[in-house]
Amino acid sequence: MSEFSGCPGSRMLDFRTHEKQEQTQTAEVKSQLRQWPIQLHLISPQAPYYQGADVLLAADCTAYALGNFHNDYLKGTSIAIACPKLDEGQDIYVEKIKSLLEDYKINTLTVLIMQVPCCMGLLNLAKQAAESSNRKVPIKSVVVSLQGEILSEDWV
Amino acid sequence: MLEDYMNKGIKDVISEFPEVADILEQYNIGCVPCTVGTCLLKDIVEIHNLPEEDEQALMAGIAAVIEPGRQATLPPVKTKRQTKPGTIRYSPPLRKLVEEHILIKRLVGSIPWIVENLEIETEEGRRLVLRTTEFIRFYADKYHHAKEEEILFKYFDMDSDILKAMRQEHEQARSHVRAILDALERTDKDTIAEHLNAYCELLAEHIRKEDEILYPWMDRGLTVTQVGEMFSAFAEVEAKTDKNVIDDSRRFVIELEEKMLRLTKEVTK
Repeated sequence: MSEFSGCPGSRMLDFRTHEKQEQTQTAEVKSQLRQWPIQLHLISPQAPYYQGADVLLAADCTAYALGNFHNDYLKGTSIAIACPKLDEGQDIYVEKIKSLLEDYKINTLTVLIMQVPCCMGLLNLAKQAAESSNRKVPIKSVVVSLQGEILSEDWV
Repeated sequence: MLEDYMNKGIKDVISEFPEVADILEQYNIGCVPCTVGTCLLKDIVEIHNLPEEDEQALMAGIAAVIEPGRQATLPPVKTKRQTKPGTIRYSPPLRKLVEEHILIKRLVGSIPWIVENLEIETEEGRRLVLRTTEFIRFYADKYHHAKEEEILFKYFDMDSDILKAMRQEHEQARSHVRAILDALERTDKDTIAEHLNAYCELLAEHIRKEDEILYPWMDRGLTVTQVGEMFSAFAEVEAKTDKNVIDDSRRFVIELEEKMLRLTKEVTK
């Protein structure tokens, strides 16, 4: 069979052989979600939990890839999720992020994305919103591997 | 015994065991020329964030000097966030401070020329000394050091020896400026030159320590929330500061560099 030449974001991979036998979670992991809704089209930047908050802008897939998503990234933050590859109306996303930065004076924005190239689009949306905003806040980019490792964590 | 020395100031450790200075130098830990030297050995080892193997080798070397012939029990290496080797990536507020350092370093880099061409009998010469001290007092101290002392340092233990040492260096810098201005009143050229040189030497080393060691260590300890708060606090300071004075400071350094270049060219013609 020839080498895969399509989009790396859609490439089929089977991780079953890498299953970690030693980790059997017995204790219940409490949800750290403190708001609803969470999808970027559905959220309202005016919601009180965004005011002055540390906001996590997470690509949809990250919550499934990261084993400890709730405790390591969601805890203490207000969230919005999106898929930069499949979602439509991304100009609205830019406006909403800009409103969070400018009108609702969020403290920081952490953009959590997968390592696949298309996911970089979410970081680019955040950068676009920041560039057009009069108010600047620190933006952090966190890239997650397909098997849930943190590949990089950098301030933009 | 090693444990006791880990909690001692580096100057005391080096004066008792001079070989420790050479070991630190091997790992690019340049504590030897430090004028303060009160930082604890354990903090110095931690703040430099060496790779684990290097840290173990460094500690083994120090242990062999302090307790020769004994199988020393090495203090455990603290768990810390590993950063990627190579270029330092600062958080946005610390990046602002590093960017401010660039202008201060340009002024510091001009000081040897100012000293060499010191001319306080003329109005122009006196004005150059005054403008240099104005830059230091306003930009390097009131604007930049105040951000550090009033905002950044407050996120850490203000009583720690490392921060005490950094604040002591800020005080030393202030006392050099006072001495320069006093000497200018008395038209004492030698004293002006002496304190300009001392300021130059102090600040060059102080900025190097902050850029390469202190700020990366601080960044490893700051939470995302703290980074955001600090960024906003810095923005408030900037908004309250007279923009014209910042622009004047920048213009002064640029004009000074241009003057140096022009006069140096004329001399070499």
